[in-house]
Amino acid sequence: MKAINMSRRKFLKTSSVVGGGLVVGFAMTGCSTVKLPIEMSDYGFVPNAFLQITPDNTVRFYCPRDEMGQGVTTGLGTLIGEELDVHPQDMEISFAGVHRDYKNPDFGVQGTGGSSSLKAHYLPLRQVGANTRALLVEAAARDLGVSVGDIATESGHVVVAGKRFPYGQFVGTAALLTAPEQAPLKLNADFRYIGTEFSRVDAIAKSTGTAEFGIDIDIPGMHHAVVIRSPIAGAKLSSVDKSGAQNMPGVTDVIEISSGVAVVAEKYWQAKTAAEKLDPKWDDVALAKVDTSTVRQDYAEAMKNEEGVSDTDEGNVVAGLESADHVIESEYWAPYLAHAPMETMNAIVRIENGEADVWSGTQGIVAAQGLVARFSGIPVEKVRAHSTYLGGAFGRRGTLTHVIEATEVAVASNKPIHLLWSREDDIRNGVYRPASLMKIKAGVKNDGSITAWQAKRVGGNITPKTLENMMPALFPGLGDGTIDFMVGLSRDVFASWVVDHSSVEGLYEDYDTANKTVDHVTVDHNLPLTFWRSVGHSYTSLAKEGMVDELAEKVGMDPVQFRVNNTQNNPRLNNVIKVGQQQMKKMQPAEGRYLGFASHHSFSTDVAEIAEVSVEGNEIRVHKVTCIVDCGIAVNPDVVRGQMEGAVMFGLTAALYGDLDLEQGAIKQSNFHDYPILRMGEAPEVDVIIIDSGTEPTGVGEPGLPPIAPAVASAVYKATGQRLRSLPFKLA
Amino acid sequence: MIEFTLNGKAVRTDDDPGTPLLWVVRDTFKLKGSKFGCGAGLCGACTMHIDGKASRTCMTPISAVSGRNVTTIEGLGTPDELHPLQAAWVELSVPQCGYCQSGQIMSAASLLNKNPTPSSADVDAAMSGNICRCGCYVRIKEAVLTVAGQSLAYNADEEIKA
Repeated sequence: MKAINMSRRKFLKTSSVVGGGLVVGFAMTGCSTVKLPIEMSDYGFVPNAFLQITPDNTVRFYCPRDEMGQGVTTGLGTLIGEELDVHPQDMEISFAGVHRDYKNPDFGVQGTGGSSSLKAHYLPLRQVGANTRALLVEAAARDLGVSVGDIATESGHVVVAGKRFPYGQFVGTAALLTAPEQAPLKLNADFRYIGTEFSRVDAIAKSTGTAEFGIDIDIPGMHHAVVIRSPIAGAKLSSVDKSGAQNMPGVTDVIEISSGVAVVAEKYWQAKTAAEKLDPKWDDVALAKVDTSTVRQDYAEAMKNEEGVSDTDEGNVVAGLESADHVIESEYWAPYLAHAPMETMNAIVRIENGEADVWSGTQGIVAAQGLVARFSGIPVEKVRAHSTYLGGAFGRRGTLTHVIEATEVAVASNKPIHLLWSREDDIRNGVYRPASLMKIKAGVKNDGSITAWQAKRVGGNITPKTLENMMPALFPGLGDGTIDFMVGLSRDVFASWVVDHSSVEGLYEDYDTANKTVDHVTVDHNLPLTFWRSVGHSYTSLAKEGMVDELAEKVGMDPVQFRVNNTQNNPRLNNVIKVGQQQMKKMQPAEGRYLGFASHHSFSTDVAEIAEVSVEGNEIRVHKVTCIVDCGIAVNPDVVRGQMEGAVMFGLTAALYGDLDLEQGAIKQSNFHDYPILRMGEAPEVDVIIIDSGTEPTGVGEPGLPPIAPAVASAVYKATGQRLRSLPFKLA
Repeated sequence: MIEFTLNGKAVRTDDDPGTPLLWVVRDTFKLKGSKFGCGAGLCGACTMHIDGKASRTCMTPISAVSGRNVTTIEGLGTPDELHPLQAAWVELSVPQCGYCQSGQIMSAASLLNKNPTPSSADVDAAMSGNICRCGCYVRIKEAVLTVAGQSLAYNADEEIKA
């Protein structure tokens, strides 16, 4: 093992930055007059919202995106460090507070998701780095009495005639100058850090227990809160006898809040133990009549009887199906799923002197700020929102019910509150990946060309639920009635007029055919829904790739060659399939092992995966996965590999185990014994091949997931002759 | 009043004897490196060593550790002085979200204390109680096997004597 040079590594500071600060120069969105949330703990130079350089040459990067494990601090640190000529491991990286300059350029709000961060920030953050470097060079030229052309930069220093001067020496002069807005960017050939591998900037903190997550926040006078919620989503409290909990040791308050009953105590375990004494009664809601069998039956009837709303209508599908030599029709099912990040939901809220602080690991800290303002009545500009590391997210930490709860409890108890969900709360009171029933009817000619692709999906939609979550957070001043009206409107629009694209994404795009239709029928049983790693692609990939395997078989073609032939309109996808095909030809699986192949385009990235699988009895075992990915320039190839490895495991958990059942409206599963997650002994070896396509970076957090389930299904078909069309996979 | 040794220091607490060790360490002694994941001994995020043996502390009442030796991730190594396992974790960029990694490292350290040269199957068996939702298993195993066989700067005997 190589020795670690500790002096190179700075630790990520999780203390959020708030309050006043010196603002000079430019900001990303132009000439900003909005005060930055950067607190000047020591004298330094703040040329923009992203950087602070101090006289002792500390370079601090305020990372605008949330670190949930995807490596965004390493990735974005590399972009800004590349142009600034500072090694990402030599920077101190802090999580940014709320400010308009920290908006995600892809979303227009300060949020993290959709595998968007590297793609959205690739040029803007490099530009910030380049402009700042130009400013420092100009300042150095003045201070040293040399011309700009005589100055080079490296590792946080200007270099003049072989002599090195730290950037920090010039910040006083730099603060008086105006930075250029379009300093030239480096040519790819000159990159020092982009495309190279070094360990993640957060690796030391996360290997020593020193990385600070939301759950770790500990402030003076803090009390702990535990909430008992209805087992059925949306049911309101009708009555509760508080006496059982009120007299328990350490308990200070028992409070009715919007989501249930909160117990406040000096310590967490006291609150938890006392809360178990409560037996609240809940109002009746329609969901209480719903079982998983109800959902499946309602979806099946809708699939059969309802036309739905058209998402895509190209060419003439009827004529295409008529011209086919073979027509195949298959249905595919995917269940509701919980995200189950290892850190359960939590938020810390302090309200004092008409001001508030909130700490939480979120996928949009601006939403936490807005919710605290809305539910405390404190103006949004007096709410300081602090980001922490996220102990996993996968889409879950965009919904911040726990911030609302902590705010309500802090207001009612008049105490700083640390509110934590249990694992049971996480699984039973969550927001879920929507269940889906999909049908594809496709035609193929004997020459292997696809003549028509008719797809339909039945299920709930995410977008109206997202509006329901985000509007109160982003517009804390907007009345409840207005929000209800707009959410209701969006629900109607997606049920009757246009398709929520995240419901059908990935169901039809990848393969060539002139005749395609995609229809959608909204059937929603009022279980809360949200994004779940790779969103619609997490279930559509099985239907799309499964159908392609069936078409190839029908015409007696190798399924991988069939994919090569039918992806001519998607050259980058076509290329990863070809590379996968070459890899597969070299593989010689042991006796009893079978290779399955699948590919999928999502979040602007193309991935093919080959799964080596054996079946023993009814048990599916995945031994090895080879993953071919084209995500443009791999800013840190090792982080890309890590994301592919992780997405394979996440997708395998869903393929082999992931299932939630509704029983009279309540989620039946509760913890890892009945909602199992893949463990080390079941984890395959993963080989990742990154295609060096040289184009701008695209997403990596999610695109590794969609191909794994269909790749395993394809291998299982070879092993057993059974087509797996229902998740999670069960062998007959 | 319950007394035990925490990372080499004698400590005492008047927390209820039924309180799980995890919450006493986190809330009373303010060591936040050990994590809550499931509260049922199913995920391993709370793993500490009790007398050198990896234990699920979300299920262990403090009455059961009276007079015993408890080591947390903070007692294993620090950012300035990494335990060999932690150094391997950094070198291989094992953590993603990082939340489960304290527990993973404590389970791995306990394994290597008992069995300095584990096979791949030994590692699977010893680590099967630790869930990583980010799916870093390939690297966790590689890191453990990298360190296996090297002389460790830390061992269970020293821990108990401390």
